[in-house]
Amino acid sequence: MMTLAMGNKDEELKVLQIRHEEKFKKRLSDMGIYKDAQVKIVKNDIPGPLIVDIKGSRLILGRGQAQKIMVEGV
Amino acid sequence: MEKIRIALAGNPNVGKSTLFNSLTGMRQHVGNWPGKTVEYKEGTFNYDEYEIEVIDLPGNYSLTAYSMEEIVSRDYIVDEHPDVIVNIVEAANLERNLYLTVQMMELGANLVLALNMNKAADEKGFKIDVDKLSQLLGIPVVRIEAVDDTGREELLKSILEVSKSPNNVIDRVEYGSEIDEHIEQLEKLVKEDISEVDAPSSWTALKLLEDDSEVVEKIRESGRGQRVLSEAKKIRGHLNNIFGDDADAAITDARYGFIAGLIQESVKKPKIDKVTRSDLIDRIVTHKYWGIPIFLLIMWITFQITFTIGAPFQDLIDAGMGMLGDAVSAGLGEGFLTSFLVDGLIGGVGGVIVFIPPIFLLFFLLALLEDSGYLARAAFVMDRFMHKTIGLHGKSFIPMILGFGCAVPGIMATRTLENERDRFLTMLIVPFMSCSARLPVYTLIIAAFFVAYQGTVLFSLYLLGIVVAVIIAAIFKNTIFKGKSAPFVMELPPYRRPTLKGSLIHMWERGVLFLRKMGTIILGVSILIWALSSLPIGVEYASQDSVTGQIGTTIAPVFAPLGFGEWQAAVAVFYGFLAKEVVVSTFGILYGVGEEASDEPDPSEEASSGEAPTEEASAEPASGEEVAAQEASGEEAAPEEEAAPEEEEEVAPEEDQGFISAIQGLFTPLSAYAFLVFVLLYIPCLATLAAIKRETNSWRWPAFSAAYTFVVAYIVSFIVYQGGSLLGFA
Repeated sequence: MMTLAMGNKDEELKVLQIRHEEKFKKRLSDMGIYKDAQVKIVKNDIPGPLIVDIKGSRLILGRGQAQKIMVEGV
Repeated sequence: MEKIRIALAGNPNVGKSTLFNSLTGMRQHVGNWPGKTVEYKEGTFNYDEYEIEVIDLPGNYSLTAYSMEEIVSRDYIVDEHPDVIVNIVEAANLERNLYLTVQMMELGANLVLALNMNKAADEKGFKIDVDKLSQLLGIPVVRIEAVDDTGREELLKSILEVSKSPNNVIDRVEYGSEIDEHIEQLEKLVKEDISEVDAPSSWTALKLLEDDSEVVEKIRESGRGQRVLSEAKKIRGHLNNIFGDDADAAITDARYGFIAGLIQESVKKPKIDKVTRSDLIDRIVTHKYWGIPIFLLIMWITFQITFTIGAPFQDLIDAGMGMLGDAVSAGLGEGFLTSFLVDGLIGGVGGVIVFIPPIFLLFFLLALLEDSGYLARAAFVMDRFMHKTIGLHGKSFIPMILGFGCAVPGIMATRTLENERDRFLTMLIVPFMSCSARLPVYTLIIAAFFVAYQGTVLFSLYLLGIVVAVIIAAIFKNTIFKGKSAPFVMELPPYRRPTLKGSLIHMWERGVLFLRKMGTIILGVSILIWALSSLPIGVEYASQDSVTGQIGTTIAPVFAPLGFGEWQAAVAVFYGFLAKEVVVSTFGILYGVGEEASDEPDPSEEASSGEAPTEEASAEPASGEEVAAQEASGEEAAPEEEAAPEEEEEVAPEEDQGFISAIQGLFTPLSAYAFLVFVLLYIPCLATLAAIKRETNSWRWPAFSAAYTFVVAYIVSFIVYQGGSLLGFA
């Protein structure tokens, strides 16, 4: 178990838990990030936001937000 | 002719607007949902004996009660019952896109699925079995390319078909036996107790399990929902125990599960992810170190194109204005009417009309950047910088870039920011982005003082606007907008080749606001200023005794510490708050040519004797004068022969030699620069304040915005002028 922000480029990860408040959790799930969803890291340059691939769409995700999403390797 | 009402729905960036534009052409208008700040576009077109009315719903990912756009969309579907909803989805991104589709199915919408951007999906290696997908969803699925009318005919046929025989897919979505069972159970109660609630009962039941605040509130208001609500709560608790998670998370999961099943059967995904062209571009454009320089380069090119390509067209309009003024003067002779037409209208509005070419060009280029998907990259690249310095995230950057065109669309674009604090803060700093309405002022002053340093002065002003915005944002973020900024997530759409038509429409939507402003505010204000400059009766036009002169004289001392304490400059700033271009209009009217031309040498004489400009200062205006004179004489050679030699030729303000020298008399180079700084930073124009009022729904924010920007402008100009004086500049 680690946070999404710790993932490396091109790594495929599975979402285990989202530690955000209800509203943002909802927004994430609407955009494809929810428990059990698969996420691939496209870009993770520190500092700055991440780019992740979810079901073929690309999302920009703030670093702070990615740090609250728990994932594990697939 | 029979009427059909259809709505376009879909995720952001799937080509909804492109389809809307291609269907309706220019027969469209923009409005606001009643009582909401959410915009909609509406248009009509004819097809096969039918008049089809199209409404473009906001781009949504979902239909929850969390955002105004989503509520507006679902209320429209429930309350207005459009005949057909065309759901546009991106073929290569089907799985995520169908999440919204499923929610519209739940709502009982009569759907047609328009599969867009198939070519891009083919390239990536997706194989979509359209028939299978259609069969599984129970709705027609049509392949289209919104950019080039591919599949248009088939789409329209499907729309007609389903408008005649609506498809019923409300029970099509499966959530797994556990949830399905409870939905049915709750639905029964909904039907018994609150049948009058105007939405499908299964949807109401589903929303209750999701604990949707809007639906719960509506049922509570009906007064007869106690049994339903308590039952819903019980079931939610039960589901919570079973799934170890909130009921709505379980339902989200179930929806995605249902979609995954559909996709499994109808779509063959590429085995290995191909590196797309979009990815290759992104490797460079979003690069850790290159990203920001590339962004700056793109902005620089944008402005270069704006100015260089815009210039010849400006000259053309210039010449036209000049001839018009001459024709009027020659035709009517001296008199009241001539003064009104030449000084008031041509001097006031004409000076601003000249800027239509660069303004429209800038809007067009910004539309290209936006439609191609680049602005989303800019948001990504700038997030790092913005986050650290001002605590706003990259998404706030898009409104700021749009602010270079005009603050009004910039302020409207803050709607994409979820967090109110971030939104208000962004609104407060967007006006510091140097919009195209300030250009006329810069150009005039530069022509009078800084011809040799044209590029540098212009660049310094744009930069100053950004720097002040950053400083102010940092201050506000630590004072009135203390607190965490909204979490940052946004889609990074693949690059698209923007269509000419799409970008032109985009440009037009924003540009037309400008034209309207010229026809209304600037025209009205020009007349007002001319009248105030002619009153009281008998006064010498535009003299210090006129009302305009008195206003200027009264407030002038306020601006004396900033270096422009002459009443003409003060009154230009005063009127300029209505619209910044009016600063130029005011000068145009005050120093307007025609019979009052003899006034003009006075101030410049005053300046050279009284204020004693330095050598450098007097040398610069001379060269500026020369250039202006050459241009003016070149263009005006023919009309001049007709006019009496004493009479000034009427040309657009910044080309008019007499006008330029009058401006030179009003300022020194230093005070002129302080004046520019003030015009850049001070009170946003009326249209911007009105936009802030609309968006915040209160007078407090525009009032605050006006007050604090005045203070900021005053302080910065003061520093520029007094500091410059201390350093020995004049």
